[in-house]
Amino acid sequence: MCFKNLPVEFDEQGNAHLKEGVADPFSYKVEELAPIESPEGEEKLHRLLERNGHIRRVDFDPVTRVAGALAFHTVVDLENRQVLETDSMATLFRGYEVILKGRDPRDAIFISSRACGVCGGVHSTTAALALEMAFGISPPPMGTIARNLLLSLEYLYDHPLHLFLLAGPDYSEPAVRETNPELWERAQSVRAAGKATHGFDTIAEIMTAMTPLTGSLYTEALHMTRVAREAYVLIGGKYPHPQTIVPGGISATIDTSDFNEVHLRIVKFFDYSQKVIAIWNDLVEFFYEANPQYREIGRRPKNLIEPGQWDDPHAYDGTFANVDDWGRKRWAPPAVIRDGELATTQMTALNMGVEEFVEHSFYEDWTDGGAGNGAYQFKTDPNGNPLPPNHPWNKQTIPKPGGTNWKDKYSWSTSPRWDRVAMETGPYSRLWANALAEDYSHLKFIEPTGHSLKLHMPHGNLPEAELEWHIPEQWGAFERNRGRAYSIAYTALIAYENLLMGLDLQRKGETRTSVDYKVPKDFRVGAGFWGAGRGYLTHHAVIDNGVIENYQILTPSTWMASPKDPFGNPGPYEEAVHATPLLENYEKPEDFKGIDVLRTIRSFDPCMPCTTHIYADSRVISRDVVTCACGVDDDGHDHEH
Amino acid sequence: MRVLVGGVGYRFLRDGSLGPHLTDKLADEPGEMSSNGLEIEDLSYGPVALSMNLQERPPYDRLVLFAAVERGRAPGTVEAYRWNRQLPAPDEIQERVAEAITGVISLDNLLIVCAALGGLPDDVRVVEIEPEDLNWGEGFSQTVEQKLPEVREKVWSSTKP
Repeated sequence: MCFKNLPVEFDEQGNAHLKEGVADPFSYKVEELAPIESPEGEEKLHRLLERNGHIRRVDFDPVTRVAGALAFHTVVDLENRQVLETDSMATLFRGYEVILKGRDPRDAIFISSRACGVCGGVHSTTAALALEMAFGISPPPMGTIARNLLLSLEYLYDHPLHLFLLAGPDYSEPAVRETNPELWERAQSVRAAGKATHGFDTIAEIMTAMTPLTGSLYTEALHMTRVAREAYVLIGGKYPHPQTIVPGGISATIDTSDFNEVHLRIVKFFDYSQKVIAIWNDLVEFFYEANPQYREIGRRPKNLIEPGQWDDPHAYDGTFANVDDWGRKRWAPPAVIRDGELATTQMTALNMGVEEFVEHSFYEDWTDGGAGNGAYQFKTDPNGNPLPPNHPWNKQTIPKPGGTNWKDKYSWSTSPRWDRVAMETGPYSRLWANALAEDYSHLKFIEPTGHSLKLHMPHGNLPEAELEWHIPEQWGAFERNRGRAYSIAYTALIAYENLLMGLDLQRKGETRTSVDYKVPKDFRVGAGFWGAGRGYLTHHAVIDNGVIENYQILTPSTWMASPKDPFGNPGPYEEAVHATPLLENYEKPEDFKGIDVLRTIRSFDPCMPCTTHIYADSRVISRDVVTCACGVDDDGHDHEH
Repeated sequence: MRVLVGGVGYRFLRDGSLGPHLTDKLADEPGEMSSNGLEIEDLSYGPVALSMNLQERPPYDRLVLFAAVERGRAPGTVEAYRWNRQLPAPDEIQERVAEAITGVISLDNLLIVCAALGGLPDDVRVVEIEPEDLNWGEGFSQTVEQKLPEVREKVWSSTKP
């Protein structure tokens, strides 16, 4: 059964409908939170602190080496090495939904791109997909191929950046020496199993090479991000805010020389991905062998969501009517994975199960606790499937800045849920969805087995190889990083297959990269389903009279940095940090650095710039709103200025 | 003398966009641009990429940067100076690199990252102005608008031997 919590069931033909006899199907009861650090819990905290000097409030504000503004509040028990309480705070407001209202729909491509300095091109493309659905157009095959190539290249930029420049330093010699010197000692004598691929004798050599600014793996990653970016701009013109993404394809042309130049760069990732996989396999296994409890770092249930990406150029028609068909023909299938099992691979089911809650976010509820007063705009999607009032097509962005209170509101992120369950997403959700889709046999270099994904890597300087990513038995921080390493190979193979298809189209003379269109003046809706390097990304658009009436962007970090939902369940960062044992080596509480907490948070590859300034008359809601608010309850002051 | 002149900043951020805006204006001044060895370029595309590009190009004798930077001075204050190349501690440099690769564009970030990763000439000159209005939108505040001729003059004089 697809849904366990939403009152939606399917008939024999697979059509979704609301369960009969449910009076107010999407309403819900808000569970009251009882944090230790709240006005009510203050006395409890003081008692705890008085009795136990080892219980500490530890705030990471801001969490460094992540993109954008994230703060994380914890209460930790340093004696029992447990995290007692967690609160994840997006500390800036993303105002694109408000900025886009009333604008020409085509502006969405260029304005939403500014949501991020890393994955701007994905926002542009997802906006173009949403507009294509609304306008009733789709690109010619070469336009789709170009888009697939561009976004592959974007991921090839993104993954090395995360693995070696953002998360990587947590595993470098200086970090390990400082936080777990016994591991550094051990690393010097443990031989690296992947030496033949990566060239390092010992694990300590790998850790040294991961040292920020000076380590060879760090500087090599910087170089590889350049290779990917060069390939992107050969077609896309510039990055991270391309001007070439348009509804119905791309506005650039591609010739043989472009393909050859891109090919030269993709091939470099064949060797590089093998090296990165060997590095992260060695690191992960070293930590697991040194202390099996490292498997628990960042642990959370196997609940993942993946909208799928890389369209089949001959199947994608941009319509919602056929979204389940063209969605299933993507290189990475749309999927919801619940407790490790595939809940659905239907885009319509994925879409209808999404809700955004704001009980603990700095926004006004627009739904009357899910009831929507019976007046919410879209009771169904364009295919007649039921939609909840909290669905992105119904969502209204109504900022309500205020003081931080762990019991009430404490984040600018909403709480997205699928079937009212917290989901995470990332490049590994693509691997996972693909691995589980055993019937997915149309990929040239990628083979799902139901429990793993085989990657048939052509030769570069290294000989050809068969790499295999296995669905992990236990899901946690180290596996996220390992999955991201495999995602470089996975992405390079998809880029390569698209390149070969592009050359084939060129031989056939099918070189057109876009179609003509007109902005319709009547009422339209559209949705773009894609993913950033960090996972799930959707844009939902409502257009009328030739302008945007409502526009909603749901990003991967909104899913994962989310605060608690109305049912009292934590967001993925909060849940994963709560489950994290504190394995750091500290003698005194003052020595505690929080490396295990930071490894957990960074393993999700947080990307918060999609929370940013908003223009609201003459006021700017800025960084000062809540960044200093960790551990502070509502002071009754209006922090807007 | 090979001199690279470049503005730094985001577009559409009112006074914060002085860098890219003035780059476009200065590039259209044929008199000044006719000087041998003078190149002008919008350098807002990311410090890591700039560092890599500078290392691949024939070396410049001087880099002249201009931008709006908030330092708590009176709005419209214009300062021109030769950068002293003082770098913060490695941890802070690493944070600046992390900012740079995730899309943060700022003058300080550019100076620190490029100095750490390489590519800057010995002689780096900076012209900066204290912004008054950093709201999202086009055009400058009146205060900064009035100071544009002074910024322009200081940029060109910074290119002289």
